[in-house]
Amino acid sequence: MEKPFTTDSYREFLESGKIMASRCRGCGELHLPPRPICSKCGGRSMEWVEIGGRGTLEAFTVIHVPPKRMKGRHPYATGIVRLEEGPRISGLIPDIKRGEDVRIGAAVEAFIVREEGGAKICFRLV
Amino acid sequence: MGLFRKVAVIGAGMTRFHNRIHSGKGGRDLFVEAVLEAVDSVDNGFDMREAEAIFVGNYSSDCFEGQGHTAALMADWLGLNPRPSIRIEDACASSGVAINMAALAIASGAYEVVIVGGFEKMTGKETEEATEILAMAADSLYEVPVGFTFPGLYAAMATAYFDRYGSTWEELAAISIKNHRNGALNEKAHFQSDIMETARRLGERHNMTFRDELDFLRSPLNPYVAYPLRLFDCCPISDGASALILASGDVARRYTDTPIYIHGLGQASDTFSLHTREELTELRATRVAASQAYKMAGVSPRDVDVADVHDCFTIAEVLATEDLGFFPKGQGGKAAVEGRTSIDGERPVNPDGGLKAKGHPVGATGAAMAYEMFKQLRGEAGRRQVEGAEVGLAHNVGASGATVTVQVFGR
Repeated sequence: MEKPFTTDSYREFLESGKIMASRCRGCGELHLPPRPICSKCGGRSMEWVEIGGRGTLEAFTVIHVPPKRMKGRHPYATGIVRLEEGPRISGLIPDIKRGEDVRIGAAVEAFIVREEGGAKICFRLV
Repeated sequence: MGLFRKVAVIGAGMTRFHNRIHSGKGGRDLFVEAVLEAVDSVDNGFDMREAEAIFVGNYSSDCFEGQGHTAALMADWLGLNPRPSIRIEDACASSGVAINMAALAIASGAYEVVIVGGFEKMTGKETEEATEILAMAADSLYEVPVGFTFPGLYAAMATAYFDRYGSTWEELAAISIKNHRNGALNEKAHFQSDIMETARRLGERHNMTFRDELDFLRSPLNPYVAYPLRLFDCCPISDGASALILASGDVARRYTDTPIYIHGLGQASDTFSLHTREELTELRATRVAASQAYKMAGVSPRDVDVADVHDCFTIAEVLATEDLGFFPKGQGGKAAVEGRTSIDGERPVNPDGGLKAKGHPVGATGAAMAYEMFKQLRGEAGRRQVEGAEVGLAHNVGASGATVTVQVFGR
């Protein structure tokens, strides 16, 4: 029985170390995070696809004024990565502390950090 | 799409936007203050009880003040029970959407006169907590947990924009310099000093002097909030409220000889998360909402004499002036550097100081933009008046662009 295409399923996959997208069986569009209704064609039949985690940095920032939950961990970088499979996703880039130390177009790979409050996607430069 | 009948603004009011002067007031006090000013601004007099409904834009009085259900609260505090009162929450576009909904309610024939406005009481929380509350308008599952903040999302757009168009932070600084210069001409603005005056004042405190605006803006007194955005690229956290009295075209002239008509309006949505957007260097919802509003009003971007655009961050004004069709993509920042968007330029943008200098009590912002257009198009904008302005535009963005409203105003 296939897991339902919900945030909970996505979170469970992430906890087990997998980044899973949903692919529309109608038009083939890949959705990350997974969603139950295809935003391209309106289709409602999906299948799970595992994402490798390698990609290219398309946008980033280095946060100097953090929200309360990230206090003490700043400055840290966070960015938007275009994955090899096509979709983009946001992820923390914890090793980067200065905007000058990274550039758009950099090759990155994902790793998953499990912490209180859930697993999160992070990236490192490769 | 067109409106079934005309809708006009017949009165407008707003509190000053500020982080300290309203410290003893709650949201209800601010909203009442703005509505009373709007009521008193109606040329031929207006009895508030003629209003048939109230539309209230508010983002998060729940988190900021521990107060929900604020539409009914405002109706009660205005003494307007049992009239219907509707709260609209669309992040920073709350009162932009409220104006559209109020206008549609009048155009439908349901009402002749309504009150619409917005408020936000933000300063009861520390900056970190306010940052967290504002971040709730981003994706709390897929953006916030990986460290994004609001400044962070716009900063990410800035890095993508710089990379794509080869532009630099200095272009963003030009927006900040212009909007602070304009804010100095606006008695309702949060900040009423230009960048050099601010540089002198802060410099004295730190025993530093500055050659010019850029010298100051590159200094440690303008620290990074979210690289590449620094403090003076970001709007402040402010308290405030704004309100308009809207009337049908059928009755507007009973109240004033100079109604300001909403000739066109538009609204669009886009992907909730920034990472899912088709493009990171434009707000598609701005383009869609603007094209609806232009079409309804029968105007083109060239016809707009004055505009208030959503500059929550300097990069947002660059994107807005491009996506609204004022300048080609990649040219929005250069237009500000060249003075083309200054009050005496060819396309004045944010003559009131914008969110950057006027302040951004989020729920109040959309209606405060309409307030500015009401003043500008009636020739009542004082020292910041754009000479001969006949067509005005207000552009209000929710969060990183998932909601956008545009209104085109005219005499």
